[in-house]
Amino acid sequence: MKSLSLKNLAKTYFDAYKGEHVTAIRDVSLEVPAGEFVSIVGPSGCGKSTILNMVAGFIPHSGGEILVGGTPVKGPGPDRGVVFQSFALFPWKTVLDNVGFGPKMRGVPKAERDAIAREYLALAGLSHAADRYPNELSGGMQQRVGVVRALANEPDVLLMDEPFASVDAQTRMTLQDELSRIWEERRPTVVFITHDVPEAVFLANRVVVLSKGKVLAEVEVPISRPRVWDRLVADDEFKDLSNQVLALVRSA
Amino acid sequence: MERTSRISAALIFIAPLAVLVALWAVVVPVFGVRPQIFPSVPAVGRAGLDSILDGSLLRHVAASVSRVAIGTVLAVLVAVPLGILMGVSRGVSAFLTPLMRFFSVLAGIAWIPIATLWFGYGFGAIVFVIFNAVFFVVAYNTLLGVSTIPMTLRHAAASLGAGRQAMLTDVLLPGALPNIVTGIRTGLGFAWRGLIAAEMIATDVGLGYMLFVARDFYQTEVIVLGMIVIGTLWLLIDRLILVPLERATIERWGLVSA
Repeated sequence: MKSLSLKNLAKTYFDAYKGEHVTAIRDVSLEVPAGEFVSIVGPSGCGKSTILNMVAGFIPHSGGEILVGGTPVKGPGPDRGVVFQSFALFPWKTVLDNVGFGPKMRGVPKAERDAIAREYLALAGLSHAADRYPNELSGGMQQRVGVVRALANEPDVLLMDEPFASVDAQTRMTLQDELSRIWEERRPTVVFITHDVPEAVFLANRVVVLSKGKVLAEVEVPISRPRVWDRLVADDEFKDLSNQVLALVRSA
Repeated sequence: MERTSRISAALIFIAPLAVLVALWAVVVPVFGVRPQIFPSVPAVGRAGLDSILDGSLLRHVAASVSRVAIGTVLAVLVAVPLGILMGVSRGVSAFLTPLMRFFSVLAGIAWIPIATLWFGYGFGAIVFVIFNAVFFVVAYNTLLGVSTIPMTLRHAAASLGAGRQAMLTDVLLPGALPNIVTGIRTGLGFAWRGLIAAEMIATDVGLGYMLFVARDFYQTEVIVLGMIVIGTLWLLIDRLILVPLERATIERWGLVSA
């Protein structure tokens, strides 16, 4: 696990439709120490997904610096695992081979990467689905595979782009419980993008509120762990923090 | 259960063909159709038996099928890499697309005259025609397949450490495979038609040749036999090779409903 550091990050691009330059990210600085879970929330169009795409290396940034463990980011790489809203599982690979894909890219032999994949699948209660294809699984199951696939590659930083936005509310809470448990066990460095404020607060050590391409506020979440919805749903501290962040987002 | 439903599906497929044959068996004797115009069922049966016994049918079928097989394999080997290259490079795609459009119209028998000048009558010219029929369809479908792979899948692969080679073998190729298979299926359909036409002109063995020569002798039973063999062979190739291939990729991966 390594730290992630954004220094005066900026992104402008040319909007061919409007025929003008658009500033998506104005000036964002953010420190995520190794092993910390940071959520970034904000209204649609605040630039939160743009930040994640730049950190992942999918799009270039136009100003500032992105450092993972002190090393500047140049394009996508296995040091930054990504979990996508659309799951992005390879439909032509079994669950086992999806999860073993990262190790395969590192040159890990077949038997060994299967063992790694099975270990991580067990972590998310997915052992029974190893030989299935993604389209045979429910959305919730697919995203469990998505999370586990990213983790199995042991990235320095885990980037999650609204990963639970396209599953039903019930499944979403289960997935949040599970992610919380897995994070507590493994302590990866996580940047979690969401527009769901309770989700952001539930999972994170710190919530960053983004507005119009800038950091509006940072809110520490000192709620004790392990965190599970059964407990937090009626927890006053959780409610207060959620309301506080919600007020910030609405003012954004 | 599986087995009985497959048998009944086969029966449903065969039933209309059987009706057609029955009609034919009745109409020819009832109206006294002359054999120079259209043969009777027993005449075609006899022609079939004779051509099997003297080995000529096998020789024609073997020639036709091997030409199609070789032309198709060569076309796929060239078309798939080119289609993928076009799929990943905007520049290559922009440059080649107008050429592909132009030549895909010409694909098939329009090339026979010049193909016979280049390769002489026979094997080379016909394989070239087959190649042409398959090549453009497969290249275009490969391009289509690559461009329909969601960008997030390429992003996912890159962020899991995939380099150029792995991107090709683990993402682009399997991602485009359903379209490639569809392209091969369509292309083979063109090739099969083009083959018969080319064989009428440019060779002295093969199913097309068999048909064409029979015409000179008013052997309508051989012509109809040839037509039946051509149609049946295509159905067999389609049902036994292409459809299962399509099923194994597209349906298993759920790419039809996606």
